[in-house]
Amino acid sequence: MAERPEDLNLPNAVVTRIIKDAIPDGVNVSKEARLAISKAASVFVLYATSCSNNYAMKAKRKTINANDVISAMEEMEFDQFEDPLKHCLEAYRNEQKNKKEANEKKKKEKEVEVQTVEDVMEEEEDDEDNDGDNEKDEDFVAEEDEDDDEEEDEEGGDVESVGLGSVANDNASVSGSATGSVVEISDDDG
Amino acid sequence: MAGVEEMESQTDDKENSSEKIVKTKEKNSNQDSEKLMKLPLSRIKSIMKSDPDVTLASQEAVITIAKATELFIWELSKDAVHSTLQSKRKTLQRKDLDCILDTRDCYLFLEGTLD
Repeated sequence: MAERPEDLNLPNAVVTRIIKDAIPDGVNVSKEARLAISKAASVFVLYATSCSNNYAMKAKRKTINANDVISAMEEMEFDQFEDPLKHCLEAYRNEQKNKKEANEKKKKEKEVEVQTVEDVMEEEEDDEDNDGDNEKDEDFVAEEDEDDDEEEDEEGGDVESVGLGSVANDNASVSGSATGSVVEISDDDG
Repeated sequence: MAGVEEMESQTDDKENSSEKIVKTKEKNSNQDSEKLMKLPLSRIKSIMKSDPDVTLASQEAVITIAKATELFIWELSKDAVHSTLQSKRKTLQRKDLDCILDTRDCYLFLEGTLD
């Protein structure tokens, strides 16, 4: 392969960072050397991809997988990369598993919140007079009506007798039983 | 190429996020992988796609090649700096690279590509 991937270079900052991590402190890197290493890295990607693809095709697969890449390292004479790559792959798979579990947990929590909000909204809709309970105002009206009926029964159910009785209570003596009959009232002025 | 498009669909999410970040802070482009990856996966994938024989690659394959490339840069730099120190210099130069490329067999694939 004599390709020159000039347009597919890796970011200079990242390449420089990796180079500086590999060399002793105090040693610098020239711009030309940095550029050459960056180009070499791009060629490495192409070479690794091609070798990995060969392994996939041998296994009659169209998709390159991680194991194909690790196997290709041996063919490329980079055996020393196999263990670090396996560790990296395992770490990535664990990270993906944790992310998936975290997402599922968040999803369940959201569902519970939505259900709680819906329940609260239903209760508020039922409480029309906003007094904290779901009883309607008509119930109170119904109770007042019942009380009025009771009062009328006690005073004979005659509106006139009730009215007269209430006015004349101060000066009049009331005789007879309150069983519904008319009460005689006598006015004593004095 | 249909196969290449399928590769895109597999890593679309990572590509959209990493391409935006690479333009501003290239060092932080892979913090979403908890510092497992330094090189941007989108760039690695672009290089892989330039191979006409490649149809599909799994996300794990892209990540493994990215990590292998990091190891390669590290190994190449470490080897080249030996030549620098032997020459009693404090700057790694292109000639140090040329020296080790001829020395180790594993770097033969680079012959003629860096000129």
